[in-house]
Amino acid sequence: MFELRGVDKRFDAVVALNNASLNVKPGEVHALLGSNGSGKSTMIKILAGLVNPNAGEILIDGSPVEIRNGYDSRKLGIATAFQDLSLIPTMSVRDNILLGNEPKNALGLVDQRASDEIISRLLERFQIDCDPDDYVQTLMPSTQTMLEVAKAVALKPRLLLLDEVTAALHYDEIQVLFSVMRELKEEGIAMVYVTHRMNEVFEVCDRTTIMRSGESVITGPMDDFSLDDIVYYMTGQRPDKSKKDVVHSHSDGGREIVLDVKNLSIFPKVHDISLRAHKGEIVGIGGLQGQGQPELIRAILGAIRYEEGEIIYDGEPSTFKLPSKAVKNGMGFISGERNREAVFPARTVLENILAGKVAKGKTFAYMPAKANRSFAQSAVDKYNIVIGSLNHPASSLSGGNQQKLVVARWIAMQPKLLLLDDPTRGVDIHSRLEIHEILKECANDGMTILISSSESEELLSLCDVIYVFYEGCVSAQLTGENKTPEKLVAAMMGMSEDHEIVSTMEAKA
Amino acid sequence: MIDTLKNSFARLRRSSFFAGFVLFIIALILNAALQGPASFFSIKSINTLFAKNAAFILVAIGQSLLLIAGTMDVSCGIQLALVNVVTIMTHQVWGIPFGLSCLLGIGAAVLASIAVWVCCSVFRLPALLASYAMTYVIRGVNVMIMSVPQGKVPREWYMAYDSQLFGLIPVSFFAVLGVLLICRFARKTPFGSHIYAVGGNPRNAFAAGISPVKVQLKAFLLKGVIVGIAGLCLTLMIAAGNPLQAEDYGIRSLSACILGGLGFGGWGSVASAVFGSGFFVLIQNSVYYFFSLLVRMIPGFSVSSYWQNFVSDVIIFLGLLMTIVTAKGRQEVLREGIVRQFKRIDYRKKPEGLDGKEAASHE
Repeated sequence: MFELRGVDKRFDAVVALNNASLNVKPGEVHALLGSNGSGKSTMIKILAGLVNPNAGEILIDGSPVEIRNGYDSRKLGIATAFQDLSLIPTMSVRDNILLGNEPKNALGLVDQRASDEIISRLLERFQIDCDPDDYVQTLMPSTQTMLEVAKAVALKPRLLLLDEVTAALHYDEIQVLFSVMRELKEEGIAMVYVTHRMNEVFEVCDRTTIMRSGESVITGPMDDFSLDDIVYYMTGQRPDKSKKDVVHSHSDGGREIVLDVKNLSIFPKVHDISLRAHKGEIVGIGGLQGQGQPELIRAILGAIRYEEGEIIYDGEPSTFKLPSKAVKNGMGFISGERNREAVFPARTVLENILAGKVAKGKTFAYMPAKANRSFAQSAVDKYNIVIGSLNHPASSLSGGNQQKLVVARWIAMQPKLLLLDDPTRGVDIHSRLEIHEILKECANDGMTILISSSESEELLSLCDVIYVFYEGCVSAQLTGENKTPEKLVAAMMGMSEDHEIVSTMEAKA
Repeated sequence: MIDTLKNSFARLRRSSFFAGFVLFIIALILNAALQGPASFFSIKSINTLFAKNAAFILVAIGQSLLLIAGTMDVSCGIQLALVNVVTIMTHQVWGIPFGLSCLLGIGAAVLASIAVWVCCSVFRLPALLASYAMTYVIRGVNVMIMSVPQGKVPREWYMAYDSQLFGLIPVSFFAVLGVLLICRFARKTPFGSHIYAVGGNPRNAFAAGISPVKVQLKAFLLKGVIVGIAGLCLTLMIAAGNPLQAEDYGIRSLSACILGGLGFGGWGSVASAVFGSGFFVLIQNSVYYFFSLLVRMIPGFSVSSYWQNFVSDVIIFLGLLMTIVTAKGRQEVLREGIVRQFKRIDYRKKPEGLDGKEAASHE
């Protein structure tokens, strides 16, 4: 019996878990469900020893234990298959599976015969078709995911954590995985299964715990829940099935089309995406994490190449090979990854605001200091950025203000098309609303805005039209009265009309 | 028979040291051609080549272990001089047997390695900078131990080093062979895969219950012993003490490893170091013969040895450029392979009952 009781976890101001609890019995598959950011992955990471909780206790067979690192977790009989994989790509399949768990002979050498046997038995059990000496990086993503699970099972755990492992798997591989899970269940191994695919939950899981904003809302046997119930507990609202969401092409006759993406595919995440943005429109991109949203935005910006399809920007096919070209042609890009892609933390507020202007101007153009200061000062005043002085480093600002700084940088440039990739990640609610107001105002003035967000409320309150991505395709286009939280969540899970047909067909096959 | 040959060639092509291997073979042919095959393949010439360069090859092997573990040590060149001065001075001042002095020399190299490990792995200073700074610390220590070049090695020791076993195989070759066997053994222990894991992705290695700091310590200890042996080879070769020699071996061994196909962290093997350093050695040798050929052919032609160094270093630089090209090419092949596999699976799925379009949309 594995139990988490009253667990709290905060990352600075963001509450990831709030008095969450979970209990898993031996020989059951326990589904851990919830929408983005509800704390599922944090829960898994606490058990895997990668995150230490602020409060609460972990009990195994009734006695409290402490998990400080991955080694502790392994010693307690917990094995984890991570969503973002913990394989080492430059090592062979054999070395990866045995890592930290090598069978040794009397000389202290790795026992080749024993390890060959372990590997071949494991590969056969999971029906993985690869040479044990292949490097992991040469395998396909789905095979890598199977290996990740196989590696966890090879540890012979008492508790197996599977964090969204099926997201990258093909149908037949999922069936293999399920049959292995059923065998493990017979052996009395407890399993926690995190997924966004609802049909799988009903297929293999015995009980479920549903989470919403860091709290565990309800726990119970799977049979007690219908699909509607699950969506209700995840969102707090009942889905309304009477109205159908129609994928209709947006025909705003008179308005100029600023961006037209046709059948774009980017290896390996994006398969076939078409979307369209008109002048003065706020277009939202929704979906679970890793459905190709960041890739699409960066392809439009010219930061990554795409394989097939076409991007028409401002009436002409865009062939931007570098973001700098795109910026010169009137695009702006605001990333939610502040530290990696947006803010220069050690440079001053002034320099951070000017960064956009510098990017657009000539390399050796003279920039009068006075004009610079007034430009920056007006941006700071206009967008209410709380700063000590223009000369203070950007890192002295709070997260929300840093993000406003980046927003101000680009909006002051008056771009024709503004791309935002999850811009309010980790931003407090007040600054978030301010950023929303700024964006709405800009759209009214004729700026076109393409925003990707992991927060459903943000998309619903801000956007004129929402494209929902599911596995690299657009699963729904929501406008007008179709923009409801339930529809959005359902589309994010791939539960739109088309996909229900596919899943039922597959269940029959 | 032909198939097995084909297979082993394909394996060689895919291996990380392939670029280094090709460079090595080119340099070997070039050298043999310039020197004349009969002279090049004579026992005397091979003996000299090995005796002179065993230290460098060993340092490159030691460096490769660190590179695999995701760290490096630029100061291992000056550590050779440390071994040299410790061995000579303990023998000369304390009068202890030379064999014991040799052990002390190896011990000094191990201590120096541990010092670098503390800086790089424990304090997490950038390895390149920290070990470069250590070069100057160790240099200071060397001069404290031995202020001016002096001392000598017992005659029977350096004579033994310069001889051939069974009149055929140079003794210095055995030093390299021994170290390679140790590495081969280590590769087969759990340490052998942990070192790749730590270099490849420290976070995931940590999640698998491996301590990156401890694994790097083991790599540094092993490298210390290897550098110790290399220092002894150098000492026996020059048969005297010099506190300020071989400093450039550190950075040169690094470039030899990169030439041989090692990446920074978790990629490549000890073989890369062997071929890379072999290329280095043979190019320098070839350039020497090339210039002496010029002197013979053009009456009155004479250049300083600086010109020889310049030409050989330019060739080595070009070699480094070539490894970038080959690495890029390999990446491209890898990517194409993955794309092909993807398409094959999509294709395979279509005929199986499901309508192709729906299957594709689901994936």
